[in-house]
Amino acid sequence: MMFGRMVYMELRTGWKGLLIFGLLILIVSAGIPLIFPTYRESLIEELEGANKVNLKLPDEQGGMITLSWEPLEAATSYMVLEDNRSSMVMAKLKYMGNETSITFEKDFEERRYYAVMGVLDETSDPVLIGIATTEKGEDPFQELLKNPAYAGLTGGRNISMLEVTGFVALEYYSWSWMLTGLFIAYLSVSVIASDFENKRMDIMLSASISRRRYLLEKFTTMSVIALFIIFVEIAGLTWGLASIDALSEFSANAALLSLIGSLPFLMVIAAVGVLTAVFSQKARTGMGVTFAFVFAEFFLYTFGGLSKSLEWMKTISIFKYWDYLSVIIDDLFKAADFALLTLLAIILVIISIQVFEKKDIPT
Amino acid sequence: MKRLADTSCDDAIYIYLCLIIVICNNVQIVASVMEMDAIVDREKVIEIKNLTKMYGSHIGVKDLSLTVHKGEIMGFLGPNGAGKTTTIRSCLALIAKTAGDITIFGLDSHKDAVAIRKQTGYLPGDFGLIPSVKVRSYLKYLLSLNGCDSTKKMVSLAERLQLDLDRKTNELSKGNKLKVGIVQALMADEDLIILDEPSGLDPLMQQEFYRIMREEKKHGKTVFMSSHNLAEVESVCDRVAIIRKGQLVVVENIQVLQEKTGKVLEVEFRDPFSIDEFRFEGVSRIHQENGRLILTIHENLDSVIKAVSNHRILNMNLQTYSLEQLFLKYYAEDEGAGEGVDE
Repeated sequence: MMFGRMVYMELRTGWKGLLIFGLLILIVSAGIPLIFPTYRESLIEELEGANKVNLKLPDEQGGMITLSWEPLEAATSYMVLEDNRSSMVMAKLKYMGNETSITFEKDFEERRYYAVMGVLDETSDPVLIGIATTEKGEDPFQELLKNPAYAGLTGGRNISMLEVTGFVALEYYSWSWMLTGLFIAYLSVSVIASDFENKRMDIMLSASISRRRYLLEKFTTMSVIALFIIFVEIAGLTWGLASIDALSEFSANAALLSLIGSLPFLMVIAAVGVLTAVFSQKARTGMGVTFAFVFAEFFLYTFGGLSKSLEWMKTISIFKYWDYLSVIIDDLFKAADFALLTLLAIILVIISIQVFEKKDIPT
Repeated sequence: MKRLADTSCDDAIYIYLCLIIVICNNVQIVASVMEMDAIVDREKVIEIKNLTKMYGSHIGVKDLSLTVHKGEIMGFLGPNGAGKTTTIRSCLALIAKTAGDITIFGLDSHKDAVAIRKQTGYLPGDFGLIPSVKVRSYLKYLLSLNGCDSTKKMVSLAERLQLDLDRKTNELSKGNKLKVGIVQALMADEDLIILDEPSGLDPLMQQEFYRIMREEKKHGKTVFMSSHNLAEVESVCDRVAIIRKGQLVVVENIQVLQEKTGKVLEVEFRDPFSIDEFRFEGVSRIHQENGRLILTIHENLDSVIKAVSNHRILNMNLQTYSLEQLFLKYYAEDEGAGEGVDE
């Protein structure tokens, strides 16, 4: 008898739900990169009058900075204020005079802001011409992401939301597991528990298939579905990245490798789902336990980043072994992690088979 | 004393009828006993030895031993909770045994479950279907799981049971769902058919189902069928096993069982009568109910008929002691029959 008949039947009966979920994933994975240019623009445009002020930075540290601005007709003179915050509350006077361009040495490393103001007369307040900064824009999440509490999102890396890789990693990868992982958790429990709850198991197992074969077919179904979702994600991301001409920064290959890395991650979740389904034989219980497993693993990974003494938590979290940032940022696919998660999934399936073979099928 | 020449025509008919009935009964018993002997010599298809199944501290089945032979239809009777389903599901390794052995086709029920299932069709007592697929697709799918490609028998059974194969499984009525269950149990043409309470069809279809069962038997199939529908067991089964509170009460050839328990005579007279007139050896439970005489005859049927013929008869009914009554007899104590656990 050909292996895969049950896989075919599961896909045949569940294709509508799968299609809807696939479309959702496609929209999200293609849509996130499309948001990126607007997001980056919004950060750059934030500075008032930035288009009237031009800051030319030197190529290297210690070079000269040239700051020029559009002249203001009514101005009698100009003044330039310097601060390391765009609010300029602690600003120091950098220049006072009639020139519309100044040059000075870049003897600092941190971001600096320059507000150029026109002085009209002695009785009026100066008028702001524009603000320029030594960096293109400020990522409002930058400081936040350095916080160890967000290690679950960044893996401890310094990620910039102003780069497409950082943006997609944080806005898509860091939470897409909730969509795909919980979908797989839900499916893996329900494909088995619904056979128990809807009393289909007696007829299924009265056919000449073993319980082992039954579980393997169900698990294979989950693998096929997970693979389908991953390819939809890859297609969506590549499409989205191509639409914003960002494939040079975030290649299709990086999307492929980083998301393929989630296959054993999803398979472990599926295997936990299968195990809880055969153990509890109830969809509600099974889903509750599997969902809790997924979230617990995420929290373990997050807490593991809080301090050195808690790092062991990371090692027991499956999130550590799907290191998509390693592919996206460091261009490194961790094959050992991939193999480790695959092995864990296999072990969980073997345990599920052992449990299932000993369990009574309820009436 | 009446001489033979003096007997009336009615008397003669009664005596004649009595003789025929007595002869027929004896022939039936002899035939049944012979059939029993033949069955004993036949190949054992299911052999259950001292099966015990506990659900925690509750008894599902206790020390049950039963043999089903090749080519027979064995009825398995008992009220809800008696242990019928537990026994059947143990045979198919759907549940683990607590103790005992079950061999089917000489194979261990649990170690060789897959090999056994290859030769066994099974209708569960309660089952669900994969939703939103056509019945035809669903049945074909089950056939493929059994490694069977031919849909010929599936189509033929569906036609006989008037099952529309092009309907969706989630659109079926309860009766049609049962038909799907019956078809799937029989369609792979397996040697052993296990049916857990296959009643619930409309009367016409139920008769067709009985005919199918008899045909399966003719083709050498073995059928093990649980039921609490006694008429069903009477109609199709060769032997019956009665289970009560997880324990086997009796295993008997169905005709021998009926003979042992006697026949019930109900007579309505036009004139008055006394029940003492009918007190013969082998006649029991003589009583009067709504002006009718009701008694159970084990022997001396001729004497009873003669006594009846001394009166003017308005209505008369002689029937085999029904299994329903037989069943009630076995459960007469009724100490919480149905108390068993999780059928």
